[in-house]
Amino acid sequence: MAMEITQFLLAAQSADARVRTEAEGSLKQFQEQNLPQFLLSLSFELANNEKPSESRRLAGILLKNSLDAKDSGRKELLVKQWCAIDLALKSQIKELLLRTIGSSVPEARHTSAQVIAKVASIEVPQKQWPELVGSLLSNMTQQESPAHLKQSTLETLGYVCEEISHHDLVQDEVNSVLTAVVQGMNQAANNAEVRLAATKALLNALDFSQTNFENEMERSYIMKMVCETACAKEPVIRQAAFECLVSIASTYYEVLEQYMQTLFELTAKAVKEDEESVALQAVEFWSTICDEEIDRQEYDSPDTGDSSPPHSGFIEKALPHLVPMLLETLEKQEEDQDHEDDVWNISMAGGTCLGLVARTVGDGIVPLVMPFVEINIRKPNWRSREAATYAFGSILEGPTIDKLAPMVAAGLEFLLTATKDENNHVRDTTAWTLSRIFEFLHTPDSGFSVISPQNLPRIVGVLLESMKDVPNVAEKVCGAIYNLAQGYEDAGASSSLLSPYLTEIIQHLLAAAERTDGPESKLRSASYETLNEVVRCSNLLEASGIIGQLLPVIMVKLGQTMDLQVVSTEDREKQAELQASLCGVLQVIIQKLSSKDETKPIVMQNADQIMMLFLRVFGCHSSSVHEEAMLAIGALAYATGAEFAKYMPELFKYLQTGLQNFEEYQVCSITVGVIGDICRALDDKILPFCDQIMSLLIQNLQSDALHRSVKPPIFSCFGDIALAIGGHFERYVATALQIMQGAAQVCAQMDTLDEELMDYGNQLRRSIFEAYSGILQGFKDAKAELMVPYAQHLLQFVELVSKDSLRDESVTKAAVAAMGDLADVVGEKIKPLFSNFTFCGEFLNECLDSEDDDLKDTARWTQGMIARLMVT
Amino acid sequence: MADDGSASNRRDPIKSSVGNVAGQRRRQQAVTVAKERRESLVRAKRLCRVGTNGGDDEDARVENEMMIDEEQPVLEAQTVKAVEELKSAVQSQGKGAMQKRVTALRELRRLLSKSEFPPIDAALTAGAIPLLVQCLSFGSPDEQLLESAWCLTNIAAGKPEETKALLPALPLLIAHLGEKNSAPVAEQCAWAIGNVAGEGEELRNVLLSQGALPPLARMIFPDKGSTVRTAAWALSNLIKGPESKAAAQLVRVDGIVDAILRHLKKTDEEIATEIAWIVVYLSALSDIATSMLLKGGILQLLVERLATSDSLQLLIPVLRSLGNFVSVDPKAMLTILIGGQNTEENAINVLGKCLRSEHRVLKKEAAWVLSNIAAGSIEHKRVIHSSEAMPLLLRLLSTSPFDIKKEVAYVLGNLCVESAEGDARPRIIQEHLVSIVSGGCLRGFIDLVRSPDIEAARLGLQFIELVLRGMPNGEGPKLVEGEDGIDAMERFQFHENEELRVMANSLVDKYFGEDYGINE
Repeated sequence: MAMEITQFLLAAQSADARVRTEAEGSLKQFQEQNLPQFLLSLSFELANNEKPSESRRLAGILLKNSLDAKDSGRKELLVKQWCAIDLALKSQIKELLLRTIGSSVPEARHTSAQVIAKVASIEVPQKQWPELVGSLLSNMTQQESPAHLKQSTLETLGYVCEEISHHDLVQDEVNSVLTAVVQGMNQAANNAEVRLAATKALLNALDFSQTNFENEMERSYIMKMVCETACAKEPVIRQAAFECLVSIASTYYEVLEQYMQTLFELTAKAVKEDEESVALQAVEFWSTICDEEIDRQEYDSPDTGDSSPPHSGFIEKALPHLVPMLLETLEKQEEDQDHEDDVWNISMAGGTCLGLVARTVGDGIVPLVMPFVEINIRKPNWRSREAATYAFGSILEGPTIDKLAPMVAAGLEFLLTATKDENNHVRDTTAWTLSRIFEFLHTPDSGFSVISPQNLPRIVGVLLESMKDVPNVAEKVCGAIYNLAQGYEDAGASSSLLSPYLTEIIQHLLAAAERTDGPESKLRSASYETLNEVVRCSNLLEASGIIGQLLPVIMVKLGQTMDLQVVSTEDREKQAELQASLCGVLQVIIQKLSSKDETKPIVMQNADQIMMLFLRVFGCHSSSVHEEAMLAIGALAYATGAEFAKYMPELFKYLQTGLQNFEEYQVCSITVGVIGDICRALDDKILPFCDQIMSLLIQNLQSDALHRSVKPPIFSCFGDIALAIGGHFERYVATALQIMQGAAQVCAQMDTLDEELMDYGNQLRRSIFEAYSGILQGFKDAKAELMVPYAQHLLQFVELVSKDSLRDESVTKAAVAAMGDLADVVGEKIKPLFSNFTFCGEFLNECLDSEDDDLKDTARWTQGMIARLMVT
Repeated sequence: MADDGSASNRRDPIKSSVGNVAGQRRRQQAVTVAKERRESLVRAKRLCRVGTNGGDDEDARVENEMMIDEEQPVLEAQTVKAVEELKSAVQSQGKGAMQKRVTALRELRRLLSKSEFPPIDAALTAGAIPLLVQCLSFGSPDEQLLESAWCLTNIAAGKPEETKALLPALPLLIAHLGEKNSAPVAEQCAWAIGNVAGEGEELRNVLLSQGALPPLARMIFPDKGSTVRTAAWALSNLIKGPESKAAAQLVRVDGIVDAILRHLKKTDEEIATEIAWIVVYLSALSDIATSMLLKGGILQLLVERLATSDSLQLLIPVLRSLGNFVSVDPKAMLTILIGGQNTEENAINVLGKCLRSEHRVLKKEAAWVLSNIAAGSIEHKRVIHSSEAMPLLLRLLSTSPFDIKKEVAYVLGNLCVESAEGDARPRIIQEHLVSIVSGGCLRGFIDLVRSPDIEAARLGLQFIELVLRGMPNGEGPKLVEGEDGIDAMERFQFHENEELRVMANSLVDKYFGEDYGINE
């Protein structure tokens, strides 16, 4: 029997902390001691119209939190607990929830709809709530259902569709749900609330409608209803309808042909005259069509013989009307537009869409945009000048260099001058356009650049001058310098062109990083990242002196961060952020200088002090390990080689902390990578630390709490450690191999339909093979026989992978290599195994036919290893 | 999730600033760099091999600081003039210009071939290289191509800086290697390239990156001719390492293994010699090549060559290849040794022939090969032990120079023990030990103990240990004493090498301690 808990629920929201804590304690106790009764009582509370809305709201929240959690481990536990509850009691709860969506109190209905969806997400896939859909549908079909019940029912249907997969419903159910939803959109028969709920529900149900969209009659009916709804009187409903159209554009691109004319008219009208929230979705419709067509064009590369999904060329056909429509949006800038990255308005969306159109059709867009640019770019009205510049910048990716080069060459000087425009927006967009020009039309290593030795001095001069402009402009200029420097990467002799300006560029970037007139730290981080790129892409032999001077400057700056006054959490965050930027610069400098023997000594001379700084950075943050400092330490380990051993005693505790940081899993992942770097630097000198490292790595692998993306790097790290310590890996081999075999098993059972999961599966498999390779090669000279018992498993795993047509090329390569390592290292004793696994030959032949030279080489090597084994 | 305020569709604006993306990209790059390093480390492990080529020293260049040849200044003046002639010939157009060029080239070539110390420096200073490169341009008549390649060949034979002067000519020299060119031109270009490749690793890398290898490799496909030989020689220079990538590239050339095997089978000794050098480098540097060659039955061919040839030039690379194959893969040798065709005696006897040879290098290489075989399985040991080579080995131990003696001692020592695993003391093969000791080898080993070479001394001590421990009826100590072994060991009493000191002292203590001789 349910308990009366209203008082506790109210008290738990009391302003009096003591009362609140006590009530929370009681509720928690109840939950722990008798979960079923607790949930039932909450459901009663939620269902009871007599109760105060505050207690009902909290009851709903508690119910929801008892069924779902963000953390996957916790979620699994909650699901288990729910499943364990007595069936009769669960029915009672579900009954109460379904009753609540008919309540007269809107908030209770809404909460209940959400809770029903959570229960459905557990029970529908297991076929334990077969009556749910029927019961919801009957709400819709009964004549006497009040509007608010229909509204909540539609809302519930929408949430349920969002939570479950379309495999969970049979086609009949899908049909009925769709019918109910589409009827709910009927303007004549329903009020606005119902129609809004129906339109939102349709958005979630669209994924279920594959079969219905294949049938022309059903499809046209749905489309007609959506298009009608897109003209509804209420803006929120129009917006929801356009959101449906966006979703349809991406899910059902193939069948849109016959509706395109109507859709164009609808969207054009919305873009032109509707409220911004609606117009944004209309633009988004076209951006989505671009996404689809770009995807298809990329997929359609000539070397894959696969038949690509059909490309209807909608953008190409709509081009003459679409481009003017988008250009018009560009002039609707906000007056005091904020220059934050998260600003989103119609002119931003229009420019973004224009960029996508350019990528879709290439050269065809140029004659449609250039007249607009030429007419507007000199107008007295700043909106015209800004729109013209923005249009020009947007179309720089997509068209061929041949098409763009003459225009860019002709316009470059104008743009350089426009960096002095009186209007902030115009200068901002001008600087951004320059950065796009350098990104796409400055690639000296492939033979083309708008920059020549003649105009370079002027360009650099203008950019450096603009670095002193207001923060938002300076930030865009950073982007221009970033792309300017990047173009010279790998450009051989022409990378020298920038060398004479390095000192000045670096000075300006450092000065910009020091500025305090911008919001937050955006300019600073843009300046430092640009500095990094300038250093990374410089011609090292010419720049070594300058970089050598930059190093102590950055070290001093990093040292100064330790003296910052830290009182609040905010201070602490600011300090950490600044340290992150500076550690990033050090990482790049170390990496750059250690790439050549001539300049490595500069790092070596400073290594002790650099390391001391990193340790102090760690010391500043007791609770976590600083990610960027860790990354920089990896670079330092590579630079110093075996000498890095002297830092290990002090560093080690931070490595341990890093490995245990599950919360910030990127830190954990980077630490794992750095341990790999250190292994390569120290070789067997890493041995004294291996027991502890391996223990932590193994615990991490076994933990459900650690984000899964860290696990593949850990397996690769096994390989790194084994390579470093060779035969000493013997003591870990049994445990490590057991986990590797377990993980291999997990890979074999993965859901192949889940793309994201498959991606993870590929990473996992590759890393397991890398671990095998490392361990085998590590044992090569001493302990090869230890791997004999695992040979069978390895070959089985390779066989399994060889039969998976979805595997990634990198997995294939790792698998083939591990097989070769097995033959190379273990040899004679496993000869019979190789004769038993007949798949080898076929698999190797497949690899030898590959287009990938690396894979071919590896396969040939492996073939050689196996042949050598079999010949003897 | 069914939560409130589900955000409506929006994407990242095209206009964004550089900070965030750049940071992510940089971090990603750091991870990629680490990944590349891991891959290159593993790749290195996969391709590296225990014993790379045993450093065939190039003959020390004759230092030639004192130029006493009186003719030299004259020669230099003539050379400068010849280059001038060539320059005007290259510039001249029209009728007779071609003939003029060939004449000028021929004169320069003659001068560059003339003396012991060709006037290369003078030719370079006078600006010969750009002219010669010009004469190599596509579509030039064969005679002109031949003469300029010849000049370049001679220049490349000079000092390292002089060889390096050929850099601008390399692309065209390589271009003329192709099948479309006449054989003499291709051969001359191969020769020049061979000289350049012989200079050093840096130039080898340049040649490889310019694609010299594949056309050179295809030049050895025909069955005979001096072109094949020259190309094979150039190729062996090109792949000699120490980096293995050229060797790896060579085995990837379709049909190369067949060509190598075919030439080794044929009678032409000169071609076989150059081919055998290619095999030396391939077997030292490329696992794939090693296994492909083994699969093609190369061991049999090498053994046959050894049996039938008397050419020292050929025997040295053949022996060295054999040693490479055996050290990588003793089992492969076993198939030759005890394979069905009764070649058993052949292989060992053929090595015996080399041991008997007059040439010290040949003897030493043969003993090295045998020691590699003797380090193999028990079957290997039996085959050697029962072969005709045994008396020879025993004799060599007492009579030959030190370096050969040492290799022979390895063979004999290896024959007496089963290959050791881990730290365990090696198990003695008593039958072999008894026969070898009774063959009178103990003296030779005790001589080694007295040698200043630590490695040899250790070998000697190890053998003494075998005798002391392994001779039946405890007759070991007496035998050792009889050959002055105690004295030899006592010399280590205060030796600076701790390992040997401990080893010798503990042997003396254990076998010649207080109780020794009491039961006499």
